[in-house]
Amino acid sequence: MSEMWQEAMIAAYREMMNRAVLFLPKLMAMVTFLLVGLAVGWLVKLLLMHILKVVRFEVFCERMGLTSALAKGGVKQRMSDLIGRFSFWVVFLFFAFMGVDALDLPATANLMSAILGFLPHVIAAILVGLLGILLANFSGEAVLIAAVNAQIQGARFMANMVRWGVIIFTGAMVLTQLGIAKEIVVAAFSIIFGGIVLAMAIAVGLGGRTIAKEALERRLRREKAGDEFTHI
Amino acid sequence: MEDAVWKAVQEQCPDAHQVDLLIALPSFNHASTIGSVLKAILAGLNASFANASILIVNADVGSQDGTPGIVKQTVGDLVPVAVIQPLGEGSSASPFALNRLSYSGMPGREEAFRSFFVLTQRLQAKACAVIDANMRSVTAEWMSLLVKPVLESGADYVAPVFRRPRYEGSLTNNLIAPLTRSLYGKRVGCQVGGGYGFSPKMASTLFQKKFLWEGEAARFAIDSWLTTVAVAEGFQVWQARLGAKVQDHKAGAADVATSLVQAVGASYHYMEHYQDVWEKPTASSAVPEVGKPMETEVESTPIHVERMMKGFRQGLRDLLPIWEVILAPETLAGVLALGLKDDEDFRFPLALWVQTVYDFAVAYHEKAIHREHLLRSLMPLYLGRTSSVVLETRGGGPEMVQHTVEQGCQTFEAMKPYLVDRWRFQ
Repeated sequence: MSEMWQEAMIAAYREMMNRAVLFLPKLMAMVTFLLVGLAVGWLVKLLLMHILKVVRFEVFCERMGLTSALAKGGVKQRMSDLIGRFSFWVVFLFFAFMGVDALDLPATANLMSAILGFLPHVIAAILVGLLGILLANFSGEAVLIAAVNAQIQGARFMANMVRWGVIIFTGAMVLTQLGIAKEIVVAAFSIIFGGIVLAMAIAVGLGGRTIAKEALERRLRREKAGDEFTHI
Repeated sequence: MEDAVWKAVQEQCPDAHQVDLLIALPSFNHASTIGSVLKAILAGLNASFANASILIVNADVGSQDGTPGIVKQTVGDLVPVAVIQPLGEGSSASPFALNRLSYSGMPGREEAFRSFFVLTQRLQAKACAVIDANMRSVTAEWMSLLVKPVLESGADYVAPVFRRPRYEGSLTNNLIAPLTRSLYGKRVGCQVGGGYGFSPKMASTLFQKKFLWEGEAARFAIDSWLTTVAVAEGFQVWQARLGAKVQDHKAGAADVATSLVQAVGASYHYMEHYQDVWEKPTASSAVPEVGKPMETEVESTPIHVERMMKGFRQGLRDLLPIWEVILAPETLAGVLALGLKDDEDFRFPLALWVQTVYDFAVAYHEKAIHREHLLRSLMPLYLGRTSSVVLETRGGGPEMVQHTVEQGCQTFEAMKPYLVDRWRFQ
């Protein structure tokens, strides 16, 4: 009985030691991946921020209204800092997932391939989001200035409508790109835009019928409330 | 394009290898006016240049009303005449051409001028006069006024000056001309259209300088930069007093904002190119003028400033976030204070206006916001300043307006160091 117990203990100990011997290199590989990830991530961040500084990316963001758009959303950091930080985390997570994959655990067997497969969607969503914000600010600004120059009283309202319209449209595209509740997003988007168009149609058709008629008449008859002299 | 234009002229006028004068008419559906314009030109040529060899070239950009036919019919055998189509290299499809189209009212105007410059070079013409085909007030005298300074006095560029009611050309008088004068030191009226005279040297230089026709410069109509480039390049600039300006299409009447973008945008654009020229301190000097002295007229209908004031006040209310980016803090504070004044007491101080124009120039240079937006956002401020000029001077005569314009020019010159400092050290 005692021998059997002894053999069982030794077998268990050997088994555990064998597993430990097999697992330790994997653990070390994971730690190495994490350390390399930290170093590479930091380097990429530094390099990227330097390049962005050289190409005056911050000035570009200010010009395109991206900085002010982020500030309105409560983000006080500079755009290049955000991109630097984001690049660090992307690189670090990439190495971290490689480390987890190196552990060869059954639970994380397909983690890396799944993440790599999803990464293009995330990058595309980020790009779509950034372009959307730029476009929204640009269009809003253009509409505001044009409406002010045309002396339309609701200039700011019109500009905000355009800006938020583009932002909502962008948000819907980002969510669709990420595959989050696709059907709901499409339905919600259709309802919101359809609703806005319907509301405007009713408003013009019922409330502003006379104004719309006069405006159309003026336009078609080319009647302009112009100045009494030419400016050039 | 160069060869195609030359070939077209050679086909129609095989004997035209060298001429003394090139008379050029850009046209687009101008059948109703081009006949009378040509008659006046022919009378002028007969009176002043009877012994000169002459070629009349009509650059037509696709008229559908038989304009080229009227040209041939009117000129007949009196003078060799050629009709060319200046458009080439897909230039008509340029999206940038839309702005300048609405400003000049004629498509392909820049390409037409380029063709004239090519022909001046190829024909070794001693002078080239360009007359707009939509002018109703062309007289025989125009030929002598536009061409003689080039032939006899060494002028390179003869710019037009017209007799106009006192507030007419307000943007030119209150912004473009004073800015040009302070930058390049020449007292030029900067009026546009109607007729121009060119020396072969100027024509050839303009044709060869690619930066005038390509890239961002392609956004600007030729009329908005001809005078600027002429003074910046150091050409001998003259002005011809051409009398009244009556034309079919009233340039700038359709969309003031577009006119402003074109005229002010061109001035700001060439400030970047000619920085080395204008940064040097220069005292301004008058340019020689030909033609009978003209008196400024009083407007036939009273000027109402309410609409312009409304535009200024709306800008103040809605465009503040944009102006905050463009204007220096002290300029913005000055502009904000204007909002507190009643309409009748409203005055936009001259110094503040000059500072505003210079701040916009610096912001344009710095690309503080999208350039088209920047230029368009100047519009309410311009309306404010124009209202102020009208309110300040409407009790006085035309001399009072001229005095105000001259004061404006002097203030622009006096405050030039402000611009230079901000441009360099912003």
